[in-house]
Order: sequence, then structure tokens, then C-alpha cells
Amino acid sequence: MSNNKLSNHGRRRFLKLAGSGLAITGGAGLLRRQLLPISDAMAAPDAPANLFFVGTDGWISLPATPTIPTFHPDVYAPTNFTTYIFGFRNMTGIPPMDPAAPANMNPLVIGQKNKAQHSAPLFWVDEFTGSNTFRLDLLNVGLAQRPDLTDSHSIHWHGFRNVIPFFDGEPTGSFAVPVGRVFRYIFKPRDPGTYMFHCHVEDVEHVHMGMTGLVFVRPRQNGQSFGGFTKFAYNDGDGSTGYHREFAMLLTEVWAESHWCDAHIQLPEWSDYKVDFALLNGRVYPDTLEPNSPFNAATSTHAYDTQRQADGDLVVPARPDLQYQPLSALVTCNAGERVLLRFANLGFKEASMTLTGIKMKVVGKDATPMRGFNAAGTARTGADTSYETNTLSFGAGESFDAIFTAPPHSGGSGPDVYILYNRAYNRSDNQINGAGGQRTEIRVYPSGTISAQTIPNENPTVA
Amino acid sequence: MNKSTFKQLSRKLATPLAVAISSLLTGLPTMAMAAPLGVACTSGAGTNPSFNLTTQIGDIQLPDGNTMYMWGYALQGQGFQHPGPVLCVNQGDTVTVTLTNNLPEKVSIMFPGQTDVLANGVPAQPEFDPPLPNAGSRAISLTTTAPAQAASIPGVVQYSFVANQPGTYIYESGTNPQKQVRMGLFGTLIVRPTGTGGGPDHLYNREDSRFTTAGNWDEEFLVLLSEIDPYQHWAVEANPAANFNFNNYKPRYWLINGRGFPDSIADNNAAFLPTQPYGALARVHPYGAPAHPYPGAIRYLNLGSEDYPFHPHGNNGSVVGRDGRSLETEAGDDVSFEKFVVPVGPGQTWDVMFSWHDAEDYNIRNPNDPVGSPDNNPVDVNIPQIANQFFGQFYSFSPYLGVQGQQPPNWSTLNTCGEYYIISHNHALNQITSWGALMTGPITYMRVDPPLPNSCAQ
Repeated sequence: MSNNKLSNHGRRRFLKLAGSGLAITGGAGLLRRQLLPISDAMAAPDAPANLFFVGTDGWISLPATPTIPTFHPDVYAPTNFTTYIFGFRNMTGIPPMDPAAPANMNPLVIGQKNKAQHSAPLFWVDEFTGSNTFRLDLLNVGLAQRPDLTDSHSIHWHGFRNVIPFFDGEPTGSFAVPVGRVFRYIFKPRDPGTYMFHCHVEDVEHVHMGMTGLVFVRPRQNGQSFGGFTKFAYNDGDGSTGYHREFAMLLTEVWAESHWCDAHIQLPEWSDYKVDFALLNGRVYPDTLEPNSPFNAATSTHAYDTQRQADGDLVVPARPDLQYQPLSALVTCNAGERVLLRFANLGFKEASMTLTGIKMKVVGKDATPMRGFNAAGTARTGADTSYETNTLSFGAGESFDAIFTAPPHSGGSGPDVYILYNRAYNRSDNQINGAGGQRTEIRVYPSGTISAQTIPNENPTVA
Repeated sequence: MNKSTFKQLSRKLATPLAVAISSLLTGLPTMAMAAPLGVACTSGAGTNPSFNLTTQIGDIQLPDGNTMYMWGYALQGQGFQHPGPVLCVNQGDTVTVTLTNNLPEKVSIMFPGQTDVLANGVPAQPEFDPPLPNAGSRAISLTTTAPAQAASIPGVVQYSFVANQPGTYIYESGTNPQKQVRMGLFGTLIVRPTGTGGGPDHLYNREDSRFTTAGNWDEEFLVLLSEIDPYQHWAVEANPAANFNFNNYKPRYWLINGRGFPDSIADNNAAFLPTQPYGALARVHPYGAPAHPYPGAIRYLNLGSEDYPFHPHGNNGSVVGRDGRSLETEAGDDVSFEKFVVPVGPGQTWDVMFSWHDAEDYNIRNPNDPVGSPDNNPVDVNIPQIANQFFGQFYSFSPYLGVQGQQPPNWSTLNTCGEYYIISHNHALNQITSWGALMTGPITYMRVDPPLPNSCAQ
């Protein structure tokens, strides 16, 4: 909220920073552990944006019972919904300015105020190899429920190495995007792996309110063939991180009181923080099993671009209460396939994701392959530190890449089902019978039953 | 002489007693006065150093304007400080720590990670009440204690151990620790490697654990994380003997090096924080040979009771050691790993190497680097007008390292020479608050200066 802006923090003025220093004398020595990026040619400027995101507020649906007195469901919530959020929307392909009146903002875009989704649109970027600069435009259309707030927004790519403040989205060291303004973030990602992104303005609040998403970087090795695979988590050189299907799993949390406070012009006391709802891709079980909202194939080259209605609003799925939670957490695959699960945690608490009945192999953490340095210290091709587990325990801001091989189908009709859930039951139990929160299913079909994924998180129709 | 050193000196000179004491105590441990940033070591004299610590009562300042009653370890002859002194020793030293206890209850020091710790010349042992053997005995201290102060006579205990493994360690009270540690009885122990491949500017006995040190450009930093439940502290202040019900424990403040942001980025020994001597600003230069061939080092410690997932923007820390052990196999294979969140558990220490590299050559407008030169590499985006930005106090108003852009009228920036400020903070974001004051707590910045020579005040 604006009354907590860091730049207005008032107890005392920040100190002028005074340091002392001497010129550094260089010297020969081993240059290890600090890998330099591969040198590539410069990118061509002035290309159109790869993605166009809008930042605003909105409403989502979480289980209405059991109620949380005063706070949940929120009495202000429109029909079908329970919980106030801040969030992003993907409006790629819609010009920010009105084509009929170029001096005005496009009503299709302004109209998305109060229509944010959670979690934020999943997107992915190819490793930078010289010409594929990635451009993400962010437009802040303001908050419908809180016109008194003039909060800026930003995109912080969490984990981006060697970032400059200008593109980091951290508003004290640089700047953020005020209401009614647009800014283009430039990314030249040189390190494959799973990352997160979120608004970094007053981030205790804006992150928790839902301006959180998952982003990953595809390795330049993709498209080549190693070990029978053409898609990989990392530039492994041997196919050890190859996979057939991939699913992003973003973990977030909802403390109902804080969401209620934002809708009702109140301030929560953040040290009272607790987790009322634990979300997987913006939903709680069993909603996690509901299908993805349909995506627009033409504009889903770099993001899961949910289909829109004529007025720009998200398409209404079979479960209208999930209109603004379009991303499923259901995993479907054929027996024998390798499946990459990309986990990232933008909640504030540790999670412990357990997969029953199938071992997962951890091939990456925090966008780093599970390999030590080679003897020369020049590349992470040394000791293999990957390991198998059925439980991934990770805290706020961490990511894991885990691959499992779908076991043989047991025969009979229908898929074999394996449960993926947060073993920290107090964050997986917001419904009766222990069912709730961060829980989903992995459905294994007989070999050849479902066709290949065209984009991540897609569950192609079962033949 | 830089400004900070001058301030420190003038403060010292204004206190003749302190001068007298420091001259009397020549040869006793002293905190290095030169460096306003980075690890501020208290080093013992010669090999086999001795440290004389006392327990003291004092207050610290918190970001919401509150002050907090604390207990702490301090150097003999000096007042209360929080956290305790950063004790720096060399591998192989026999370290002696004499604790003089001024508190009205028994106090001790644990040295987790050290072996064969002696207390008063015999192995340090847990203490039981009633003493063993007795069927009803219960441990009342995890290690040998110094008696409580009685009739103004302090209790004394002397510990010693051989610091045989390099790395970063905590020290903390082992007596009533859920109370005494939370009250502030803890500190940092750094053991510098002296074996083959080691040295004072290495984390471990490995060539590749060397970090940047050159005068005041030391890039060795401390991130000591802790937390405070104010009700516990007020309960102890009201009645030290009463037992605070730990079931009611609920932290409201979280600190880095004993300070909350923005105090965290003030210099070591900042005059306005008289009892919180340790800053956390990490000032570095862009990484890369030949000028800057070694990375920086950060020593993370968790002295709290919660998990602290600490997130440095803009770099993956390379975790080369944990709990005072280098991450390598017995065969010498490197098993270090990179993390963009360093998840430090209670009582753990993580040794991390880090750097910031000018990957896109955004240093183009260096005064020595004419615009239009072949390495001129503008950001391929139009820089928004100021009216289209919501900017912060460290912003240079330019994307380029070493450049200060046009500032709006009446704006007072804290950016001095176009340097970058890249944040580091705890990513359990409910912990970067101070009982209602948001965006405080365990936050600091990595300040990246333009390559030398530059126009920055040094």
C-alpha cells in the first residue's frame, strides 16, 4: 500500500553511504565457481514485445467452507468468487493504445482492471544465444477495488543472474511502473532452469496478494538429440535431463485476513502471518484437477496464453468460479515417458512435496544443474550430484527441477493415479478428510494413449 | 582519510577514558577500526589468541522506532554490543575464551562445530540439577557455566579449544538457550584456513575459495540472521528470574547483523547505532579478470529459531561450505552448488562465494569509455520519462553503470556516482517487517561500483 512505500520510510533519512577503498591489484589465480556467460553477438533493437502483461486486481475462488469468520469468504466478493487478489494478465497481441484513437488507451486493455488471474501467466524464454532478446511489456491499469491506492507494479525475475537494477523491478534501486504507464523489460537469459517472477513493489503485500508466476529458460541444447530426447532441462550434453512432458508447479499461499484487509482498506500485521490456503498453480485441491482453461495456440509460443472473450476478459470455463485461476495442476502422461516437474515456491513457508509410488530424480535446483565443477573449473560437468527422492522440501523463493519416469500401466481401463501432495499437512488440509491445498494427481495412461504436449502444462485430450 | 574513519577517530578521541583503556589493553583483542564495510573482525594477539568476554545488558534500536532490552557478549572493558564480537582466529590456533558473567543467572558459551572444548581445563560438560548421578537429574545447561553474579562479584569460566577446521561458526549460550540465546547471547567465530591451498583470503584450504581482499575493498561479508519476540524481552526485563512461556513465543522483528533495514546498510560502528556495530552493505566491483579476478564471500549464520530463505538478487551464490566444512568429496571432487535462495536453518552456517558480472557490457558510459566506442551497447529499450517512473532513493536515473541520469527537481538521491544497488533480502516476506513497519528487517544491498578508476567517493 502506498502508505508503506519504502521511499517514504520516515524514521530517519538513509545515511549517505561512505566507504573507503584502494585500487584492486589483480593477480593470477584459479577462476572457478563464478562462470562467465557464453559470449554472444548483440541483439537487434526495436522488435515487438514477446509478451504484454497487465497488472491489476481481481477476485478468485477458494473453498467457501469452512468459513473463516470475518475474513472468508469476503463479503465484497462478486458471485462465484471469495478472495480479493492483485495479479497479472497476459494481453499479448492486444495493442496498449486504441487503434481507432491512438491517443487513448485501448479499452480492451483498460477493461481488464479487476480481472487479474492467479497464479500469473506461466511463461518461458529460450536461452539467449545472440539475437533472441526477450521483451516483456508491463502496463499498470490500477486497482478497481482500491481506487485510493496508486500502487506501482513491476516485474522482478527472481534468480536472474547479473541483472542490472534497471530491469530488476526492485523499486528502491531502480523504478517501477505507475498506474497508466507501460515499461518494457528486456531479458537476455543465459542460464537455463526454473525461475519465478513477481511484482517487487511493497513485495510483502504484492507477492502475497498474488502477483506471482513461474518462468523458465529453455537450454540452447533443445532441438538437438541426446539420449533419444530433444527437450532438456539443462545443457547436459548427454540427455540426462531429457524429458517428454513438462509441468510447472507454482506454490503460493493465501492468508485470508490479509486479502480481506486489502479489499476493506485495512492493514494486516504481517508478523501474524499464517497459511489458510496453500495453492498449486493458483488452485487448491480438488480444483487442481480441473482442466486448464483453453489456450490460444497462436500466441502461446512463450506463455500459456489463456483464450479471451471478445471484450478481452478470460474465457469462462466449465467451472465459472475458476475463470481467473486458469492453470490446472493435473499431470497426464503415458507409461514409460519421462516427465519434468518444475517446482517453485513463492509462498512464505517451506513446502514438502511428496510423490507417492514414483521416485523423482532431482536434476536441478535454483536454475543450476546438479553437477559439480569440472577439474578446470570452467563448467558444471563434474561430479553428478543428482539424487532420487519421493519428497522435495524447499522454502520460500527456491526452485527444483525433478524428473520421473512414468511406471508401466497396471492394465485395465483408465489411468493409474499417483498423488503429489504437500506432506506439511497443515498446509494441505483446508478441507475435510485431509484433502485440500497443494495436492494433485499424476495420471499414467497406457503407452501411446495421449499425444505429445504442444506447450508446457498441456494435458492433451485422451484418445 | 575517509569520512567514516574520521568519525570513528573523533568519537574515540572525544572519549579519553576509551583511549586510556585501549592503551592499557594493548595486546588484548580489538576490533579492527579501519573498514566501514565488510566483516569487522575482533582478532586476538598472535597465535593462540585469548578473548575476554563479558555478559552485558543493553538496548538496541529497531526500524519501527522501538528499542529493545537485550543481553549480549561484549569485549572486556567495552560496553554492550549486539550481536557479540566477530572472533577471527587461524586454523590450528588454541583459542581461549574467558567469560566474565555479570548477569544474575548462570551463563555459558557453546562452540558448535568445535571439538574437545575444555572448560576450566577439563572437558566442557552439560550441567545437571541435581548433579549426576541422581534419578531426578535434568540438564540445566548444555555446557559448563559461569556462575551467576552474586554480591557484585561476577562468575567466571574459561573455555579453550583448538580451531582445527576452517569455516564459519556460531557461538551462543548453552544455558537456558531458549531464553538466553533469544536475548542476544550469540556471536560469530571465523576460522581462517592455514593449510595447503588456504590463507587469510580463502574460505577453505582450496585455491578456488579465494575471495577479493585489497585494503578496504575487502569483499568478505557477514549475514547473521536472527529474530526477536518483544514480549519475551519485556518479560526478562521485568523479572529476569521469571520463565517466559515459550509456547507463546512469536517473533515480531527479524534482523540482519543485529540491525533492521535501513540501519542494516549503515557503516560498521555507525555513530547513531552505538550498540549495533555491524553493517551489512556489500560493496563490490564488477567481477572479471584482470582487475577483479576473485569473487566475494558471504558468511551466512542463522542465530534465530526459524528458517531464513535469504535471496540475493542478481547472482547465484556458490555454496562452497556449510557448518565449517568444505563441499568436496573425499576424492576432492567439487560438490559445491549454486543457490539464488540460501536457505539457512536454525544454527546453520553457509559459506557462499558470489559476484556480479557486467554480462551485457552496460558499463559503456564509463568516463574513460567514450560514447560510441565499439563496446557501446545501449539497452535496447526506450528509457521512460521521469513522469512515467516510480523511482527509489538509490536509483541513478540511468540503466548504465557509472552514469547518473537527469533527476527530477527537488529530488535528493542517495546515489553518488551511478553505482548500482541490487537488493538482498529474506524471501519469507512476512519476516521483512518490524511489527507493522513494512520493508524493514533482514534487507540489505549489494552496491556495485563502476570499474576503477571511477568518480565514486572511495
